[in-house]
Amino acid sequence: MRNDDSLPPGLRRAVDTLREEPEVRQEWMDGVVQAAATQRLEDVASPEVRRWALRPSVAIAAGLMFAALGSGITYAVMRPAPVTTTSPVATDSSARDKAPVRFSLVAPSAVSVTLVGDFNGWNPTAVPMRRSASGDTWEVEIGLAPGRYTYAFVVDGHLARDPSAAESAHDDFGAPSSVLLVKGS
Amino acid sequence: MTPRVLSLAAVCLASVVVTSGAQSVTLPSRLAPETRAALERVIDSARTIGLPVAPLADRAAEGVLKGADDQRILIAVRTLARELGEARSILGSTNELAVLTATASALHAGASSTELRRLAHPPGNAPDPHTLATAFVTLTDLVAKHISPTAATTAVGELLRRRATDDQFVVLRSEVEQDIRGGVAPEAALTKRIRSHVELLDAVPLGPKVITRPPPPV
Repeated sequence: MRNDDSLPPGLRRAVDTLREEPEVRQEWMDGVVQAAATQRLEDVASPEVRRWALRPSVAIAAGLMFAALGSGITYAVMRPAPVTTTSPVATDSSARDKAPVRFSLVAPSAVSVTLVGDFNGWNPTAVPMRRSASGDTWEVEIGLAPGRYTYAFVVDGHLARDPSAAESAHDDFGAPSSVLLVKGS
Repeated sequence: MTPRVLSLAAVCLASVVVTSGAQSVTLPSRLAPETRAALERVIDSARTIGLPVAPLADRAAEGVLKGADDQRILIAVRTLARELGEARSILGSTNELAVLTATASALHAGASSTELRRLAHPPGNAPDPHTLATAFVTLTDLVAKHISPTAATTAVGELLRRRATDDQFVVLRSEVEQDIRGGVAPEAALTKRIRSHVELLDAVPLGPKVITRPPPPV
């Protein structure tokens, strides 16, 4: 909708002038069409001229840039995620044949007991244990691939090693854990 | 689709493949920003040379759960990264996570890298990676029972040389533990037990491994 009536007379004339389509001479249009047709014919006749409009070096540089950018984005996205993924570089071929391993701890007065270790990123909420029917023992069963694992129990918020298992050597943090060895098949 | 579009699609796809293959880990939120940054540098360096980074993040998480201070956690993670690198150097081309971490544990327990290399690459057939991992785990656990790294390395070397099975390493470990609980000195327990295992293995003539093949389908 036009609302030119409210404009001052001088400005309204200027607007009207600008609205008028400029004259385009026919020879100009013919020239443009001729030039476009010539360029198109050259492209069709020699397609290799345009094949590497993006040169290999430029493509590689762009690839590296995208990789770096993508890596940064992935890292930024993954960092706050609560899940720790395993490494695809070191192949854990034994992950296919996990063996069920039962953990138990006698703690009749405990209110909550969880299992922590190398197998769950030492996450104290990942593997809660269940009180047995007798009420004295806390138990859980998880699948583990062959290997050596260090682990401990979190009993009402306090770390405790498994009294029925070997103690881990050279603990770096001054709170010994227990050691579990899962045999290969 | 023009070549230009195809080129751009290719480089974008390549970047997606590269980034999706990267190992990602999570560090505990309790860590101070500067500790976190230092740990991320250690993890990035490990990732660059193809080492597994999950054990490094696990070690940091273990430290946090055990109430260790940031400096101690940083030292522990750096030490583990160095040991994993040394383990990779000892083992050569293996990518088995279990044997890599077992070798790193043995190094951490004080075993000599020269001796571990000798055990991993004996003349003739190299041991199965699973058996090697079990042997190095046994070595580490023997050291934890106050047996010297040299004696423990010699003991597992005797069994590896005789092609002991995983089970025999596990039995040795539990027998020594049982003897120590019974009051026997750690190295005396190992000497006694290793002698009986060696006698048993030497009594069995070594031959080619027999694999029972299932009958062909009818």
